[in-house]
Amino acid sequence: MALPRIVRQADVAWEGNVARGSGRITAASSGAFVDVPFTLASRIDDPDGKTSPEELLAAAHAGCFTTSLGSELTRAGTPAERLDVRCTITMDEVEGVGHRIVASAIEARGRVPGSDTAAFAQAAAAADDGCPFSALVRASATVTIQAIFEGGE
Amino acid sequence: MATERRAQVTWTGSLLEGSGTIHEVGSGAFGPLDVSWSSRAEAPDGKTSPEELIAAAHAACFSMALSGGLARAGTPPERLETSATVTFVPGEGITRIHLTVEGIVPAIDETAFTAAAEGARAACPVSKALAGVPEITLHARLAKA
Repeated sequence: MALPRIVRQADVAWEGNVARGSGRITAASSGAFVDVPFTLASRIDDPDGKTSPEELLAAAHAGCFTTSLGSELTRAGTPAERLDVRCTITMDEVEGVGHRIVASAIEARGRVPGSDTAAFAQAAAAADDGCPFSALVRASATVTIQAIFEGGE
Repeated sequence: MATERRAQVTWTGSLLEGSGTIHEVGSGAFGPLDVSWSSRAEAPDGKTSPEELIAAAHAACFSMALSGGLARAGTPPERLETSATVTFVPGEGITRIHLTVEGIVPAIDETAFTAAAEGARAACPVSKALAGVPEITLHARLAKA
């Protein structure tokens, strides 16, 4: 049996040079967002209401990790009541290499009935192992996971 | 100088029946966006997914790198249209990213444009971060102006 393949597409239109030009990003498969603007200035300086590739990766990693953690907790017999996951992606200029994504830091807070601090931390570590995006990013950047158990009764 | 960008997701319930929201990104440029397992693994049904966000990040990063490379070569683009398609196999991970770009670039030929696109694919920080993806393919062509 063939493995199910999941395909998702996004479209970008860019006009002008990199310093003064601007782009728009559309979630082509889902239509969940359309024509979200980005510029070089919003990428490396103040976001000024515009997104950037790094912010989209932060959203992707937070989303990937969250579903992975939800799955691990369910497998452990303690499904989450609520998970709050924040991801911060850092891009830095590395000498001789140029701009590089150097870190992805995950902070995961969970209200999980029947779990405890140690079990939640263990599920978070397993979620990191199971999240395909964690594995990819780890090849070139540091991935850190901070798990904060917030009870669950 | 390091640049930080963040996003926050809230999830309630189990993986298969629960649902999540990307309810806050640092810039405020989009959201809240709903996510769920079924919209990730089956039909999107209007919801985004980590794979679609990775496609968006890669298409955006590649477009900027290509614009920068073309300008450095003395042929800045008028317009670039990029698509990124991410293929994800559950249990295996992201197996392929396919980039397509169509450019309106004055005073350039197809060979130089393709070379610039190859350079952008190699140089953009998202490509480097996703270097572990087994296959990143690229199709570049000039649009009829």
